[in-house]
Amino acid sequence: MALTLIVLLPFVGALLPGLMIRAGRNGCALATGAVTLLAFVLLMSQAPAVFAGEVVHARWEWLPAIGLDANFFLDGLGFLFAGLILGIGLLIITYARFYLSRNDPMGQFYTYLLLFQGAMVGIVLCDNILLLLIFWELTSLSSFLLIGYWKHLPEGRQGARMALAVTGMGGLAMIAGMLILGEIAGSYDLSTILQEGEAIRASQWYVPALILILLGCFTKSAQFPFHFWLPHAMAAPTPVSAYLHSATMVKAGIFLMARLWPVLAGTDWWFYIVATTGLFTMVMAAWIALFKDDLKGLLAFSTVSHLALITFLFGLGTPIAAVAGVFHIINHASFKAALFMTAGIIDHETGTRDIKKLGGLMVLMPITMTIATLAALSMAGVPLLNGFLTKEMMLHEALHTEWAGVPWLLGAAAVVGAIFSVAYSFRYIAHVFLGPKRDDYPHHPHDPPFGMYLPPLILIVPVVLIGLFPAAVAGPLVAVAADAVTGGNLPDYHLAIWHGFNLTLVSSLAALALGAFLLWRHRQANAVRLSVPRPEAKRIFETLVDGAAAGARLFTDGLHNGSLRRYLAVMIGACILAGATAFLNASHAPGGRELTHVPIITLLAWAVLIGACVTIVIFHRQRLLTLVIVGVVGMLVSLGFVYLSAPDLALTQISVEVVTVILLLLALNFLPKQTPRDSGTGRRLRDGLLAGLGGLGVGGIIYAVMTRDFTTISDFHLAQSKPGGGGTNVVNVILVDFRGFDTFGEIIVLGIAALAIYALLDGALNGPAVKRLRSWVPDQERARDRHPMMLVVATRVMLPLSLMVGLFIFLRGHNEPGGGFIAGLVVAIAFLMQYMASGFGWAERRMKIDYHLLIGWGVLAAGFTGVGAWIAGRPFLTSDFAHVHLPVFGDFELATAMAFDVGVFLTVVGSVMVALANLSRLARVTEGPISDDPMDVDPQRRGPGTGMPDAAHTGKAEG
Amino acid sequence: MSELPIMGPALPEIFLAIAVMGLMMVGVFVKPDRALPLVSALAIAVLLVAGALIAAGGGGYQLAFGDLFVVDRFAVFMKLLVIAGSVLAIIMSEGFIRREGMDRFEYPVLICLATLGMLMMVSANDLIALYIGLELQSLSLYVTASLQRDRLRSTEAGLKYFVLGALSSGMLLYGASLIYGFGGTTEFGALAAHFGELESVPVGVITGIVFLVAGLAFKVSAVPFHMWTPDVYEGAPTPVTAFFAVAPKIAAMALLLRVMMGPFGGMVGEWFQIIWFVSAASMVLGAFAAIPQTNIKRLMAYSSIGHVGYALIGLAAGTEEGVTGILIYMAIYLVMNVGTFACILSMKVKGRMVEQISDLAGLAKTKPAMAAALLIFMFSMAGIPPMAGFFGKLYVFRAAINAELYTLAVIGALASVVSAFYYLRIVKVMYFDEPAEAFDPVETRGLKAIIGVAGVIVLAFIFYPSLLADNAAVAAVSLLQG
Repeated sequence: MALTLIVLLPFVGALLPGLMIRAGRNGCALATGAVTLLAFVLLMSQAPAVFAGEVVHARWEWLPAIGLDANFFLDGLGFLFAGLILGIGLLIITYARFYLSRNDPMGQFYTYLLLFQGAMVGIVLCDNILLLLIFWELTSLSSFLLIGYWKHLPEGRQGARMALAVTGMGGLAMIAGMLILGEIAGSYDLSTILQEGEAIRASQWYVPALILILLGCFTKSAQFPFHFWLPHAMAAPTPVSAYLHSATMVKAGIFLMARLWPVLAGTDWWFYIVATTGLFTMVMAAWIALFKDDLKGLLAFSTVSHLALITFLFGLGTPIAAVAGVFHIINHASFKAALFMTAGIIDHETGTRDIKKLGGLMVLMPITMTIATLAALSMAGVPLLNGFLTKEMMLHEALHTEWAGVPWLLGAAAVVGAIFSVAYSFRYIAHVFLGPKRDDYPHHPHDPPFGMYLPPLILIVPVVLIGLFPAAVAGPLVAVAADAVTGGNLPDYHLAIWHGFNLTLVSSLAALALGAFLLWRHRQANAVRLSVPRPEAKRIFETLVDGAAAGARLFTDGLHNGSLRRYLAVMIGACILAGATAFLNASHAPGGRELTHVPIITLLAWAVLIGACVTIVIFHRQRLLTLVIVGVVGMLVSLGFVYLSAPDLALTQISVEVVTVILLLLALNFLPKQTPRDSGTGRRLRDGLLAGLGGLGVGGIIYAVMTRDFTTISDFHLAQSKPGGGGTNVVNVILVDFRGFDTFGEIIVLGIAALAIYALLDGALNGPAVKRLRSWVPDQERARDRHPMMLVVATRVMLPLSLMVGLFIFLRGHNEPGGGFIAGLVVAIAFLMQYMASGFGWAERRMKIDYHLLIGWGVLAAGFTGVGAWIAGRPFLTSDFAHVHLPVFGDFELATAMAFDVGVFLTVVGSVMVALANLSRLARVTEGPISDDPMDVDPQRRGPGTGMPDAAHTGKAEG
Repeated sequence: MSELPIMGPALPEIFLAIAVMGLMMVGVFVKPDRALPLVSALAIAVLLVAGALIAAGGGGYQLAFGDLFVVDRFAVFMKLLVIAGSVLAIIMSEGFIRREGMDRFEYPVLICLATLGMLMMVSANDLIALYIGLELQSLSLYVTASLQRDRLRSTEAGLKYFVLGALSSGMLLYGASLIYGFGGTTEFGALAAHFGELESVPVGVITGIVFLVAGLAFKVSAVPFHMWTPDVYEGAPTPVTAFFAVAPKIAAMALLLRVMMGPFGGMVGEWFQIIWFVSAASMVLGAFAAIPQTNIKRLMAYSSIGHVGYALIGLAAGTEEGVTGILIYMAIYLVMNVGTFACILSMKVKGRMVEQISDLAGLAKTKPAMAAALLIFMFSMAGIPPMAGFFGKLYVFRAAINAELYTLAVIGALASVVSAFYYLRIVKVMYFDEPAEAFDPVETRGLKAIIGVAGVIVLAFIFYPSLLADNAAVAAVSLLQG
């Protein structure tokens, strides 16, 4: 319970600063401090148990279904880290109270700080890796708020953004790694995972999981190649830098490596990735730190270097190295936090952090100088201070481990790193405090108020005490923490200053001497640095990001350029590919059905059909020609129906073909005769290829399907047509009875389509298009006899005959080929021809029917027929029939379906005529007033610019 | 023969259908200047009643209309999400349509019709019912996309959507006809029974499934059938885009789930590779293609492509856990997206809508509350804990890992790393760039409330995730067990 409370306290307490800020800055700081102190005391109350080797657990089931539980546990490692976080947090809160100026919103600052503190404590105490992920990202978020706290500094913004981008992305990668880890271990509880080291290391998913988790750790702890964000985050207020970048956030990555050490460490992969990265980062960052003129920049790179040192120690994978790593965590936290705070004091008092503008502060700020010197000497690894102890241990391990068969490589590199480390540590003392006093400090420097130097002073105490009496002061803590890291395999070790005169001591002393020498030759070293190429990681990162963005832009613009044709090509291509994959992976060989005999006539028709299609493709820009060939295709299809003994379909097909071709012809009249050329050769080749492949694919599927046996439902319809629907024409019975509902829907659609034509053309005639229509000039010469006599006479003769045929087809429809649909089309064609022959004006005066109404009546008639079935107590559209004998027509059934067919008939006629009437309105606009005469010849009627008009003369005749 | 088919379970849909026609009448007979607010308010009321009917209907497994229509807990869950998406879309569009010359009462009517189509999709238990629902939805959406008739981009968006949508519908029908040809029925239960007996899956069925998936992938805008998304999102009026991004995606995802886990649930092995590929490609494309975007609507298009990819991970897993993951993902996706679009709809300078990301510069200074809300949404979209979006990803990733789809999970995690980049870029622009011109005050109380509530939900989800997770789990069980 206490554990959960320790984690929750900072979160709940985060509300306090916002409330307490009204009570003044002291009250605010006190409240924040009290929260932290309470958590710290709670933690200390667990100390006896921890030092007795117990592991304290607190469990709370939260989302057991996905293994996310609010479990916490406290062992040595957790205790060490939680202590550091809360203890240093307390000091930082004190320090910040004096550091922040009156204008800074302190309440906000403390709120963020507590949020961050809670997230950090959560990371080190939680016993569930999913929960750990949550806390992990929470630290990223709250640190982002803290770093970006000084919003008026542009560098602060950039620092915050980069910190968030790098650590946030690393954290996301870690999610996948953690999930895999949990899956291998079978649980998301850390304490369970820690028992499964063997299984995890043996798993084939060990390496991906390791890499993903290390991505999270390395980004968080600023290891190469992700080290660049940390120095840029230094624009934050110094209390933030001191807290986040010495003791806490950057150590989260280290913590996780330590936590998972029993599980992940000990393999070659671990050694080569972690130890190499650590050592390389250590040397590189130390070298850069030596030449940083910004005090905090120097400390930032030195932090990277020291974190790398710890990483290196853990990376070695031996228990004794892990002990050293744990020990260095304590040492580094103490001296580095103190150093950051002194840097903040110097900045605060002198007004600058630029080493070049500093120097000679020894006299002016004696207390600060004492603290800073002790801390810096410890960082350099000078004996009798705590930094020396761990540096010795690190050098010892490095000198006695071989890397890829080379025994001296690690040792040499570690010594070089140590030299640089000594040099920059000494520089922090020499170039800031020593030297002559200057008279151009931006402010007049003096030691800060007590509250400001108290925190670093407190931190110096362990630096010295551990340095003098390591085993007594730090021994127990290191022991329990290292015990947790090594999973109970604590090696035999001895924390002491003197290990005898050996290689390690020699190299350590050599490093001190050479470091001092290097600082003496700082100017020359700098010249060397400037003369070699210096790849700057930040710029590389930005170049990479820019490059990726440019690449993405190239890709996106290429793919999504707004061209509909390209989209269609991609979609169809994808479908062909997917379809082909499915087709080829399945059993696609032809089935066992016997193929039917192909007579020559079929082959011929097939060839003509293909030829017509190819012609359409070739001449698709000639609209009129295309339409004619489309008509040919339709005719061939209807012939095919005839050939396959489907007269009904053939009749329907033919009449539909005729009506659509006529209507299309009338409409095309108002459009250019050619479509514009719209694609180049390359694109046409692409489209041709896609079309060919698609056609082949569909053909293949059809072939595969049709050569296999299948059951058909036609037998059912053939058997049920007469007894169920009262007709022997199965197609018609299906239309008006079995599938009556479909037909009902279809005629409604047909009616709506006609109305849509009306609405569209009506809109066009009232809109801007009408101007274009008025000025429209036909692009071909017109015939002078607008309504030719031959046609007029023929259609008049045909009209009664056609109507008769229509009626005949309608009536016999139920048993023989025919029906309302075909009859409607036949009658419509008969009317259409009258309009074509004598013009709209003439025909309209004689046909005084409102075609809109016709559609409406048709739909209603069909609907009422359906409803009629309800009266007989049967479902909608159930048909009934009776046999009737009429003298002339003979014996026939009178089915209710016939009334339905009337509706179909009316709707079809109405729809066709509405379409026609609207096209005629277009014609009226373009051609002016239309004569009502049945036949007229207008010799003036010519195309554009063709000769002189003849004398005005209009021939008239009666039809 | 003589009794009416069972219709009771479809009561909400029947009610909605009749009410929509009533709404149209109201719109025609009320004075033009009063029509839109009245019809909008009525539409919200109608949708809410339909939602209440759905919720009141419970979730017991029921069939209606001769097994064409099914209601179960899964359907109830998804339908409530759809209704929520539609209602929020109408509320959000209030100010926009009044200002941008889109004030036709047909807009809420079309949304209701589209919603009706979506409800039918969610409940479809038959290939025919599936298609009818899908088309009712699609046709309404085509029209809403081009509702700003006098703006070129809007009409272009509508036209493109229509042409490509028609193509995808054609593919879907082709696939459905193949499946019918081999299954001998269009009803899902009978199909499942039929395919369950087969020893090997015939070529026609596999090809049919491929085309069916292609058609549905278009509707959820999954790669490679996503091509329409950026153009339509950018071109359509913003409230319409907001609607597109949420409700139709949820409905199409529900449909995809029902089809894949229902009739074809027994042959996961045959189709999981398709879904695997579609999912991975969507995540990767959504992550990379969004990087160079400068228009926030276009960015959201790519973001939604990516999110669909993540959700599809759950389907690739093909397990109950995966379905639960998808349901949770879609619910969270709804909240995040609605919140984000509410913010986008508030991006207005001196009465003029702006939609460039750079217009957000310095929002943290000029409008701290809105910036904070958008920050929450962006973090959530990136999947950064402790926001709700993290849990969505967590559930599907977990399902993938438990189904041993490690590669897919890793691709997903890496894609989310890349996509974090552009979400965080927005945060950076808001918080660290020099302020651009300040936005006008958020227009309507509805928008304000949506931003606020969505933000709180995304933030507070972590405290009570089981509310959603338990319901989703129950819904997933009902889908798989019938």
